[in-house]
Amino acid sequence: MDRGDHKEMQERIQAARNPAHAPGDAANVRRQTITIDPVTRLEGHGKIEIFLDERGEVERAYFQVPELRGFETFCIGRPAEDMPQITSRICGVCPTAHHMAATKALDDLYQVQPPPTALKIRDLVYNAFMLEDHALHVYFLGGPDFIVGPDAPKELRNVVGVIQKVGVDVGKRVIAMRRRLREMISYFGGKVIHPVFGLPGGVSKGLAPVDLPGIQQLARDAVDFARFTLQIFKDIVLKNDRYLKLITSDTYTHRTYYMGLVNGRNQPDFYAGKIRVVDPAGTEYASFPAQHYLAYISERVEPWSYGKFCYLKPLGWKGFVDGPESSIYAVAPLARLNVAESMATPEAQKAYEEYVATLGGKPVHYTLANHWARVIEMLQAAERMQELANDPGLTGTEIRTIPTATPKAGVGVVEAPRGTLIHHYETDERGLIRKANLIVATQGNSARMAMGVEKSAKGLIHQGKVDDGLLNMIEMAFRAYDPCHGCATHSLPGQMPLIVSIRDASGLVIQELRR
Amino acid sequence: MNAPPQRIVVLGLGNDILADDAVGLVAARFLRGHYGEEIEVVEAAETGLALLDFLEGRSHALLLDAILTGCHPAGTVLAFSREDFRASPDSSSHYAGIPEVLGLAECLGVSVPTELCILAMEVEDLYCLREGLSVSVDRALPDYVAHARRILDGWSRQSVRSSRVRRSQIV
Repeated sequence: MDRGDHKEMQERIQAARNPAHAPGDAANVRRQTITIDPVTRLEGHGKIEIFLDERGEVERAYFQVPELRGFETFCIGRPAEDMPQITSRICGVCPTAHHMAATKALDDLYQVQPPPTALKIRDLVYNAFMLEDHALHVYFLGGPDFIVGPDAPKELRNVVGVIQKVGVDVGKRVIAMRRRLREMISYFGGKVIHPVFGLPGGVSKGLAPVDLPGIQQLARDAVDFARFTLQIFKDIVLKNDRYLKLITSDTYTHRTYYMGLVNGRNQPDFYAGKIRVVDPAGTEYASFPAQHYLAYISERVEPWSYGKFCYLKPLGWKGFVDGPESSIYAVAPLARLNVAESMATPEAQKAYEEYVATLGGKPVHYTLANHWARVIEMLQAAERMQELANDPGLTGTEIRTIPTATPKAGVGVVEAPRGTLIHHYETDERGLIRKANLIVATQGNSARMAMGVEKSAKGLIHQGKVDDGLLNMIEMAFRAYDPCHGCATHSLPGQMPLIVSIRDASGLVIQELRR
Repeated sequence: MNAPPQRIVVLGLGNDILADDAVGLVAARFLRGHYGEEIEVVEAAETGLALLDFLEGRSHALLLDAILTGCHPAGTVLAFSREDFRASPDSSSHYAGIPEVLGLAECLGVSVPTELCILAMEVEDLYCLREGLSVSVDRALPDYVAHARRILDGWSRQSVRSSRVRRSQIV
């Protein structure tokens, strides 16, 4: 190779790589690189990189995401009461989760206990949000993996493929239910995306008795919808032995710790409760109020990712390992069902028993079981909505306790659809923010996701052979968590087409796949 | 009963505290006030399926959004039509894209605009939480708004012509 060729090759490699990696490039030049950029069907932008060695075996795989910058700087000096509005804006995917975690942090900051009616309204709105968000994932984001099928042709692995499989009427039903749930959230909170709903000590709007029947009807329909979704999941996924084998395959298995909010009976609670952690054997490792989170959760920074990796602080960072030696924990549906001893509502409990029995007992370590767990959570969310809709206290008029304490620090926690979400603020005596820290849900799963991507890549790619189906199987390890990284509110269509480049050991592109 | 939606909708998309991501919202604010009831201007921080709620039942939709390709100088205005997305229905960076929303609407028989234009401005910064646009984006804003007005004026004239035709048919 003459010098001119060499220079051109270097330029091409550099052009194809993320500039953020430039300092490490010299060592990587002789590796083959496969980049899956971005991970399709994720909310937010993601990118998976797979490095092959000279034999074409996977040497290392990881994912990375663009991080939002300047969150704390943006918040400092602003009134704490603005935080439910600010934080709901940082993520267009789960605004209600941020809004509610922020509102609970304000309760704590001002040491104020909301009246029972306010708590019921918050719980109702929150469960409606969980149901709506989970439905989106089950049908349209994760749906292509299971409803359409993991090895279906790529042109069918999308929302249109899902509709073709389940039928137009089901598609219409999903759209209609999501719309009605969002309308209910808007009834209490104004806009879904920028709610003005939670206040320290309560909520801004109560439920007029005249509107109660509509809410009760919605809750009944929501339960029907969740039942029906469980049935679809059973018919399409669970009756297919191949899918079950895939779910329980070693490629998609990790034995980690699990974290989630539970009520006093150790049942999943999306809105309130204590944080419970179980170890890889399923034994309780810790149970603590959100205010103690810093004693249990620590964050690890790796040079190859902008993201932070959460682990259990008392155990210390032990690397990307699972099993008894791990200090990594997972959050989100799989984790919530693992930390729970039972479900909080009757039909969800039945579904949970079947889930545990089919998957060989608890804890369930199969990443792809997240999809099933998500459907069971939909049922609990809908049943909980119905309980609340029939609670005579829901239409009470006392919806706010006015705060009087001098603020200092507050921590709020909810279970976001994607896992435990913690907001922590410190203010001066006027309530102006001095410090703001968020542990976002996807961060709780990031270490386990990194392991998952690498394990599936190592299991599926050999001797440099990569086809679209294999890449999809690797992405599945990632998508099961429904990760949301960008906290960007939207994306412009067509912004970043998926390009997969495969390079031989000298760095030349030998194959390129585009979506 | 709710009034039927206006035929023409402008959707300003973006996040008002995420630097240049706000450009679509800012442009939408300029456009509001220029037009009467015939055109509805919406500032939407929504994403994905929620966009369907704004598009359903409209004949024309103009989407204003930020884009970061790195291939053009910041301030460059790029226009995309519906056909640009139909050609590659799964090329969106993630699910929450217009191609999927339109694909889904087509599948379900939901009426969505036959005329759809996306005017995107190439921006500098989509990742820093701050209020205010970058200088390059701010400078390009008048041209961006003017471009949007030319499209909307064209659609309005079409709309007037077609309503005249309808009236003459009735007569």
